[in-house]
Amino acid sequence: MASIVRPTMLKQSCLKAVSKQAFSTKPASTFPAINKPAASVLSKQVARNAFAKSALPGSMRVAAFHASGRRAILPALPPNDAAKFPTPHPSHGSYHWTFERAISVGLVPLTIAPFAAGSLNPLTDALLCATILIHSHIGFEALIVDYIPTKRLPKTRKTFDWGLKLATVVVGVGLYEFETNDVGLTEGIKRIWTA
Amino acid sequence: MAALRTTSRLFAATRPAFKSQIRTRTMATVTGTATSGAVPPSQTTTVKEPAADADSKIKTFHIYRWNPDEPSTKPRMQSYTLDLNKTGPMMLDALIRIKNEVDPTLTFRRSCREGICGSCAMNIDGVNTLACLCRIPTDVKAESKIYPLPHTYVVKDIVPDLTQFYKQYKSIKPYLQKNTPAPDGKEYLQSKEERKKLDGLYECILCACCSTSCPSYWWNSEEYLGPAVLMQSYRWIADSRDEHTEERKAQLDNSMSLYRCHTILNCSRTCPKGLNPGYAIAEIKKAMAL
Repeated sequence: MASIVRPTMLKQSCLKAVSKQAFSTKPASTFPAINKPAASVLSKQVARNAFAKSALPGSMRVAAFHASGRRAILPALPPNDAAKFPTPHPSHGSYHWTFERAISVGLVPLTIAPFAAGSLNPLTDALLCATILIHSHIGFEALIVDYIPTKRLPKTRKTFDWGLKLATVVVGVGLYEFETNDVGLTEGIKRIWTA
Repeated sequence: MAALRTTSRLFAATRPAFKSQIRTRTMATVTGTATSGAVPPSQTTTVKEPAADADSKIKTFHIYRWNPDEPSTKPRMQSYTLDLNKTGPMMLDALIRIKNEVDPTLTFRRSCREGICGSCAMNIDGVNTLACLCRIPTDVKAESKIYPLPHTYVVKDIVPDLTQFYKQYKSIKPYLQKNTPAPDGKEYLQSKEERKKLDGLYECILCACCSTSCPSYWWNSEEYLGPAVLMQSYRWIADSRDEHTEERKAQLDNSMSLYRCHTILNCSRTCPKGLNPGYAIAEIKKAMAL
């Protein structure tokens, strides 16, 4: 038993000496074991370790001398570490936001133009369709990200992500068909709009 | 030495081998409540309760109660009545009076009673605010409801667990980060204009009223930083002396940390200090945009 304990004991007393040395103004000469390699040992790192050791309560430091394991009275408190940031992804962060805002702003003239000008240009019509499609895709994506967190519902999240992609493709194909084989979006709205 | 110990323990263990499980009680167990089976004081006392004054303003407060020592009992609302003529003007005065005179088990945080510590943040009549800065509505008919901050884990009664909030605050490194020493070797100077940018940011007392009023933060508090922490992040991004602005911005550059803000602006509406976290977040977004 004692042979197991001894290295720990030695280490602890050494550390104690180091910490004493680190925080006292007197030159240390009392501990011969620590005196010899003092120059190499007494780096900042060691002093810090020693400080951390001395910050521990006494009961924890003497635990090595007891035969039975140390048992904490209370469960350990949650470590107060800083919260982790997700990995940076400008394409999901700032670029995404800028793109989203550009699309939103671009939608305003695109929506007004065909009705204000009174003329129906298939090019602006196609542009409008594409912008609406992207805009709504981003909007629904935001919904999914908000309400279906990956941490709690990973499978549901995946399902909804792919569902959204599928829906966007289907709507895209539908709009394409509507534009190419039918009257087109603005003309369609014009016909429905009877007010 | 160790061997001796184990054997002695073996002997000790033989004694209570068939200890009755039912009659043994751990030290802190309390069986039954204080009022159960007891005769109410109204039947035992001959002292007459003083009748309420004609001009007394009796107001009812409903306060959220939950005791962690009885985890199986559901949270409940407990009602207290106070005479407003004998109570201070603020909600915190009422709470302190209830705790002092009516129910000492009522638990809440408070410290400075003047809106500078941020301890007494709670949801009063549906609005997150500091109890010390919230006047008691003098309308006696309207009953006040006091809840803990919404969507937080409750420690007890109206004490919320703000661990995650503080962890997130720690994650934005809320301190000056410099690579170069000061030009005069003493202090980092700032022009008046540069200092002016920090007004409205540094006053935040981190009471968490804004963060816990934000629906985005309710749903995604694990990753979204929330208005209070983002405003502090902006406080260091906007600081002319800080040299890690790009690192700070790069940290936020993902879909969750910053961009879960959908400009709902509950934060700016609820801030008991009159600050504008929504504006600060918009400024970060602007600074990070192309």
